Amino acid sequence: MTTDIAAETLKLPSLDYAALAPMLILFGVGCVGVLVEAIAPKKARFPVQLVLAVLGIAASLTAIVLAAGTEKVTAAGAVAVDGPGLFLQGSIAVLGLVALLLISERSLERGGAFVAQAAVTANSEADRDQATRGSGATEVYPLIIFSLGGMMLFAAANDLLTMFVALEVFSLPLYLLCAMARRRRLLSQEAALKYFLLGAFASAFFLFGIALVYGYAGRVDFAGIHAAVLDSPNDIALLYIGLAMVAIGLLFKAALAPFHVWTPDVYQGAPTPVTALMAACTKVAAFGGLLRVLYVAFERSQWDYRPVLGAIAVLTMLVGAVLAVTQTDIKRLLAYSSIANAGYVLVGVLAISKAGLASSLFYLVAYGFSVLAAFGIVTLVRDADGEATHLSRWAGLGRRSPLYATLFTFLLLAFAGIPLTSGFTAKFGVFAAAIEADQTWLVIAGVITSAIIAFPYLRVVVMMWLSEPGESTPAVSLPGALTAAAVTIGAAATLLLGIVPQPLLDMTENAAHFVR
Amino acid sequence: MNGLVTLAAAAGEVKGGEAATFYLLAPIAVICAIGMVWARNAVHSALFLVVTMLCLGVFYVLQAGPFIGMVQIIVYTGAIMMLFLFVLMLVGRDASDSLIETLRGQRMTAVLLGLGFAGLVATGLYRALGNLDSVGLTQANSVHGGNVPGIAALLFTKYVFAFEVTSALLITAAVGAMILAHIEKRPDQKIAQPERMRARFAPDNYPGPKPGPGVFANSTSVATPAVLPDGTQSERSMSKILPQRELTAAEAAPKGTEHQ
Amino acid sequence: MVLLVVPAVGAVTAALVRHDLAGRIAGTVAAAVAFLATLPLPIGRGTRVDTGPALVPWHQVDVAWVPSLDLRFHLGVDGISYPLVVLTALLTLLCCGYTLWRVPDPGRGRLLVALLLIIEVGILGVFLALDLILFFVFFELVLLPMYAVIAGWGGPGRRRAARMFVLYTLLGSVLLLVGLVTVVGAAGTADLVQLTGTRLGTGTQYAAFVLLAIGFAVKSPLWPLHTWLPDAHTEAPTVGSVILAGVLLKMGTYGLLRVAVGVAPDAAQGAAPVLGGFAAAAIIVGGLVCLAQNEVKRLIAYSSVGHMGFVLLGIATLQPVGFQAALVGNVAHGLITGLLFFLAGAVKDRAHTGELAKLGGLRETAPGLSGLLGFAAVASLGLPGLAGFWGEAFAIVAALRTGGAYWNVLGVVAAFGAALAAAYLLRLLRRTTHGPASPAVLALDGPRLSAAELVAWAPLVLLIVALGLLPALVLGPGAAAVDALHGVVGR
Repeated sequence: MTTDIAAETLKLPSLDYAALAPMLILFGVGCVGVLVEAIAPKKARFPVQLVLAVLGIAASLTAIVLAAGTEKVTAAGAVAVDGPGLFLQGSIAVLGLVALLLISERSLERGGAFVAQAAVTANSEADRDQATRGSGATEVYPLIIFSLGGMMLFAAANDLLTMFVALEVFSLPLYLLCAMARRRRLLSQEAALKYFLLGAFASAFFLFGIALVYGYAGRVDFAGIHAAVLDSPNDIALLYIGLAMVAIGLLFKAALAPFHVWTPDVYQGAPTPVTALMAACTKVAAFGGLLRVLYVAFERSQWDYRPVLGAIAVLTMLVGAVLAVTQTDIKRLLAYSSIANAGYVLVGVLAISKAGLASSLFYLVAYGFSVLAAFGIVTLVRDADGEATHLSRWAGLGRRSPLYATLFTFLLLAFAGIPLTSGFTAKFGVFAAAIEADQTWLVIAGVITSAIIAFPYLRVVVMMWLSEPGESTPAVSLPGALTAAAVTIGAAATLLLGIVPQPLLDMTENAAHFVR
Repeated sequence: MNGLVTLAAAAGEVKGGEAATFYLLAPIAVICAIGMVWARNAVHSALFLVVTMLCLGVFYVLQAGPFIGMVQIIVYTGAIMMLFLFVLMLVGRDASDSLIETLRGQRMTAVLLGLGFAGLVATGLYRALGNLDSVGLTQANSVHGGNVPGIAALLFTKYVFAFEVTSALLITAAVGAMILAHIEKRPDQKIAQPERMRARFAPDNYPGPKPGPGVFANSTSVATPAVLPDGTQSERSMSKILPQRELTAAEAAPKGTEHQ
Repeated sequence: MVLLVVPAVGAVTAALVRHDLAGRIAGTVAAAVAFLATLPLPIGRGTRVDTGPALVPWHQVDVAWVPSLDLRFHLGVDGISYPLVVLTALLTLLCCGYTLWRVPDPGRGRLLVALLLIIEVGILGVFLALDLILFFVFFELVLLPMYAVIAGWGGPGRRRAARMFVLYTLLGSVLLLVGLVTVVGAAGTADLVQLTGTRLGTGTQYAAFVLLAIGFAVKSPLWPLHTWLPDAHTEAPTVGSVILAGVLLKMGTYGLLRVAVGVAPDAAQGAAPVLGGFAAAAIIVGGLVCLAQNEVKRLIAYSSVGHMGFVLLGIATLQPVGFQAALVGNVAHGLITGLLFFLAGAVKDRAHTGELAKLGGLRETAPGLSGLLGFAAVASLGLPGLAGFWGEAFAIVAALRTGGAYWNVLGVVAAFGAALAAAYLLRLLRRTTHGPASPAVLALDGPRLSAAELVAWAPLVLLIVALGLLPALVLGPGAAAVDALHGVVGR
């Protein structure tokens, strides 16, 4: 049946390998990582994987830097390499690298934060045995690399199908990683299952949305949709329902209310370094995708989706702030705080302007660094049973280890948006952009919620500094070099972006132009 | 297959046999999908899914996608689902699932909201698609000289990057399956042949092969235990995951073959 | 600017120095250097040109900080801010010096000194900032160290007090930020020099003024937003109270004058009667509540509410005299209340109680202390010849001069409030210094004043007298700036 006509018409589209290199390198390194798992002797796997992963991300970052300034659509329109795309890819690489440091820490706990064999029945004899000894699985490295590669593609995808594939590529490893906590296995497995099920639903919505948008526009590439919004003869309801469903998929990944319910459970159950990775990198990728879809494909429907997404932003900020007040677990608290922060980013996104784009990009990076450092410190506060995450256990931490309590206080202040931290600069940027775009109601909601959410942060600060350390106050482990480096980088970035944010602001402003 | 294509893509509008097939199979597909979620027995669930997938395969063919329709039936239904069933049977099925509502009224609310949402989307789509003709089916199947070449052309030109990236997804899935299912024995847990033998011939252990189910039994069903030479039933002959079948009076009655 | 760098460096040094006393000394030295640095500021101020912009700083530093967010590091000092700058530097120096001699429980004096210096950086920054966003940054900077001072070194109810303080002021900051962003958004610049005198749209002005006024009113604090203040004052350590009452409250009134009135003059005119009404109410309510107080620090705290009422009344009149009343009132209140809190702290430290009922007869056991207390109280009630008089008198004069029945009534009410002040302060004196000595007073630890205390208080006493005799000390440098501001309001 294959005729000779087909043979001559099939021509590989031009692939700009330099522009695709960041992703290709990561996928390649991921494959090599899987091979290492198969070939290398058990003892050698950890160092080999670590070095491989660090080199891979570094090489990918180099490729991104080399590609800076490129503005083109390549791979037959599937991938857009432009300012925002490269900026997001770069931030994913840098944040991923810092998260990798946390993930690779093995001096806090024998064998690292990951379980050796996730298949062992939770709470069985063998499971308790492997919690205290046995070095963690090294399969996490190829998984993380694949995930980062998927995130990069997600931020650069220029048609909905590629975006969907990227979504799956970066989600699947995350589902797996969530199930691999060394301690509290049941919680971890529950987190993974919840994330997987809800994630699958969200993906299904996304896919259905793609089908409907295709029905409306007859295309799935963003330029085609952009053109079709103006002149498609089809019923506009198709476009609305399609956009709504695509948005649901994206909002789920970005953890925006009311699609946020998975966040606290998953953040709590997942191994803390993976939580850090999700809070920093996944957020960047998800918002990268959202930005591209809203700015490139559906820009002309902005008057239709803006009020709805605005309501979602307000709801998200409110839910995050109000529920954070009632939390008693530090990881859940940070999860709700990340929900609220996603709301603030959305405020910037909804400015639908160059300033809005630039400020959202800045916010994502600033928040990513802070949240990495915060979760890094969470990994340090531990007792014999692993991390002590209940808030009451943090009472009096300021007396036990002033340095880490100071750092954590600083990071919480950054989350609260106190001046001289990156949080203030970032919030100010998105709010200013939103006011410029006449979205004052979003800013008012944002400011009110940031006052609300300051309360739980202050409660933690008070706990740490003003309560007497009790018997149950856990010690803070001396961090290994890797965690120390990650926390230092995160905190330093938070401070620097608060005091001299100009270089990064310049970068975001230069980058803030999508190619269509 | 070309015949199928021309048959299905004869015209843009839905009519005649196509419509009849659709209206016949669509309810079955939906009902089976619901049944898959609702069935408490994993095997039943799997079988429901098989039916749904078969229906979908037919739909694909109807919509001028013969290749994907066949793939759906052969690969998904034929291979994957059968493999799935096979594993289920081997591993054992467990029908006990606890349904405790942690939030009161959650299920009811979920059902209502779900129905509402479905209604909303359905009416919206009906309005939008009510009198819309499908276009381009014939063209899609002819431009590259057929259905399969058409798919190949898309995969290797327009979506080549997405297609290649899918390999990362598959590798991840394989690694994930390994992580979540494979338990590597520690060296000190490995049991060597001498130990096995010693354990086998230890006192209180029956060294011979276990009797097969139904052997010397009152019935030929695998669900009835074997009868040992002394007339007692051997629980060992049955798989633990099978429920033991209650014997009817006729089956339990002496058959005249027992030794007196 | 040297002014900000020195305390900041001092704070870091004080926190880092291992040895406690050395850290405190380092901090004090930094505070002293900062104070000395404020003194030569008037040198080199230019003469005002009538045609120039409405706000002409004597000196300024203008560096782009974050250009893309319109953030400039624009500092400058002029007649309105200069007295407050000096006051801040002086009080911080005195407080640091005081901690050399005595560190409140639970010790760790170098941390306390470091926090005080950070507060100084923040307050000086607020007074110096000529960029709205920078203003806000410094405004916020003060909040947390102050919180830590109250929560870390305060009395038994410090948790609650600190939380109230933070919640109130955080809410105020939020409104403030919204107001500032509204202004910046509407005007396209955050530069105060440019903003003062530019007329924004009336709607924007009203929105901005209301937001800013409420934000500042929380800080000032204006009745009925004052409820955080008594708790915070009562529970804060002595030095904390001094800074809090002496200069921190001034951020509110200064902000109202400089930012709210300067940026939204038309709205200020519209809202003036309301503001004036609240101010008069604050004076009366403060006075009445004081009459019913039984605790020294609480009483002084409520008296602050009344005094700040006078300052706000002055601002509300929008008259040059009113503005001057606000200026003088600010400085005088800072000096007097600073002294009062020092004294109250000294009494509490010695007698281990602040209950008026348990004190009494201080005159007999500690004549020096009671004498100073009498002096401060008399200054506070506005005796002519002492600093407190000018602020109150000018405010009433300004109210009467504004004319109209309403303002006349306000003036009369304020005058009545001044009488109330006399009543409650004399009551304070009668209960504490006079009468038979109570057991607590008889058991006083060290009735004599220590040298350190004298050194800390002497400048305050001297300045109170000096300002009482020569209000031109404050009014002189401020006159030009006040006239200019009045020109903007254009009444």
